[in-house]
Amino acid sequence: MRVTDASLSLRRLCKRYGDLAAVDGFSLEIRRGSIFGLLGPNGAGKTTLIRMLTTLLRPTSGDALVEGFSVTTQGRQVRRLIGVVPQENNLDRYLTARENLVLHARMHGMAPSAYDRRIDELLEMTGLASRQHDFTDTYSGGMQRRLVVARALIHDPRILFLDEPTTGLDPQSRRAVWDHVQSLTAQMTVFLTTHYMDEADTLCDRIVIMDHGRALVDGSAAELKERLAHAHRYELQLKGGGDRYEAVLRGLPFVTELKRDGDLFCVALAGEECLKPLLDAIGNADLKSVSLREPTLEDVFIELTGRAVRE
Amino acid sequence: MLKGPFTVWWRDMIVLRRSFFSELAAVVASPLTFYLAFGFGLKGFIANVDGVPYILFMAPGLITMTAVSAAFSESAWSLWFHRRVQHTIEAYRVTPITVYDIVIGKIISGVTHGTVKGAAVAAIIMMLTTLHLQLASLLAYLPYLLLGSMIFSCVGTICGTVLNKPETIGRVEAVVIMPLIFMSGVFFPVSSYPAAMLPFVRLLPTTAIFEGGRYALLDGTLNAGYVANLAISAVAAFAGAVWVFNRRIEE
Repeated sequence: MRVTDASLSLRRLCKRYGDLAAVDGFSLEIRRGSIFGLLGPNGAGKTTLIRMLTTLLRPTSGDALVEGFSVTTQGRQVRRLIGVVPQENNLDRYLTARENLVLHARMHGMAPSAYDRRIDELLEMTGLASRQHDFTDTYSGGMQRRLVVARALIHDPRILFLDEPTTGLDPQSRRAVWDHVQSLTAQMTVFLTTHYMDEADTLCDRIVIMDHGRALVDGSAAELKERLAHAHRYELQLKGGGDRYEAVLRGLPFVTELKRDGDLFCVALAGEECLKPLLDAIGNADLKSVSLREPTLEDVFIELTGRAVRE
Repeated sequence: MLKGPFTVWWRDMIVLRRSFFSELAAVVASPLTFYLAFGFGLKGFIANVDGVPYILFMAPGLITMTAVSAAFSESAWSLWFHRRVQHTIEAYRVTPITVYDIVIGKIISGVTHGTVKGAAVAAIIMMLTTLHLQLASLLAYLPYLLLGSMIFSCVGTICGTVLNKPETIGRVEAVVIMPLIFMSGVFFPVSSYPAAMLPFVRLLPTTAIFEGGRYALLDGTLNAGYVANLAISAVAAFAGAVWVFNRRIEE
């Protein structure tokens, strides 16, 4: 990528808390106009990274350039160009929805002649126009989220940071946020963190999975899934006897992973040559079907970051 | 240059305007209770103090007490709420305004709350008593009101920035702020202190606020020493508040 194509450029960005490296020498270039997804388990360093890029946290070392401005020395210029949707809705509950937007427009130095029309547009776009004079604590979670997105867009940012934008939303609200995000890419770069693999799969042009402060893989959703093409995952549909067959499958040394849903088993094998011994072990009596299973982004995520639950 | 602080202040004024009467009722209840209980209740027991009827002697102190405690409360609770409950400070910090803009805006809000609420108590006391303030007295009182509110607003800003639990702010109010106010000449002249303590007591900014404020309101006089004390204290408190806020927020 040419330097001028990069909207965001991270250069060995590092944040340490004593001996713990929350973000450990992260380098990355993100193309202008793309939707970039950062995935990782809890505590992987996603939020720390986003806080450094939005100037909320000072890096221990390294730097990042946002549209050419340094987050360490040109914070104010950076903040003029970014919009931020944080993990938690941090709206002002003592102000109405419209007043929340006016406050942020004023913080961006906008004049009433510029922000009044823009606010009307955003309220219309987010479907909140009819409730604009209500206090935000009377809003549902989905409405609050849409208002936070509108607030982040008030000054037409060049880069939009979305930190887990759909956590806690119902499917309809999630889809609404997705639609908004997808409609924005003509005008801006989107930097997204999420726990939802389907969200990353649907929205992102490029995905980085990180853990322990480091990038583990980098590519499009299709490229990441391709990495697991060697994983030899199969779905076995049985006619019955699930408990008995589960014991059999768990006893097979070449079954590296096993998931069961009633009489449907998902198995990962150590190699392609293990398929025949697997079928021999099960036999034909109760076997209804066998199919090769395409890896999902979640498979890639689990493969890279492990199954252990994080705090 | 002051666009950022005034934006923060603008937000606080919208909220104040909305809750003006309910907040005012809560704020003036306490000083008026003191005024009625001590001023009228003890009328027969206390004659003149420093040559002034007691009911007039305590009036300036109660007006000042309302102003400075309102300045402290607004800054402390507002910052704590924005920082710990609404997390709106973070929303401010991803806009081009700086941490200095935020802290200055919050201090201006604290001073505004103090001035408005102090003025409300003054108006009610003037309706109840023979206290009639001349323009010269009010002008002389203004530096005490503004600098005093600013000092308490800065102290409130520091508390709202470093204290994470609401009950701790309540304890600071009960254990530090209120005793400091009460012992600085709201209800008695500081000359009542033992001679050995007087030089120390007169150096306290709170003495300058309350005793200086009384001289200004009752006699229309401006005590240069007290005003200088308050100006230096206000600058120090402001520098302290900005430094603490900046440092804490950067963490």
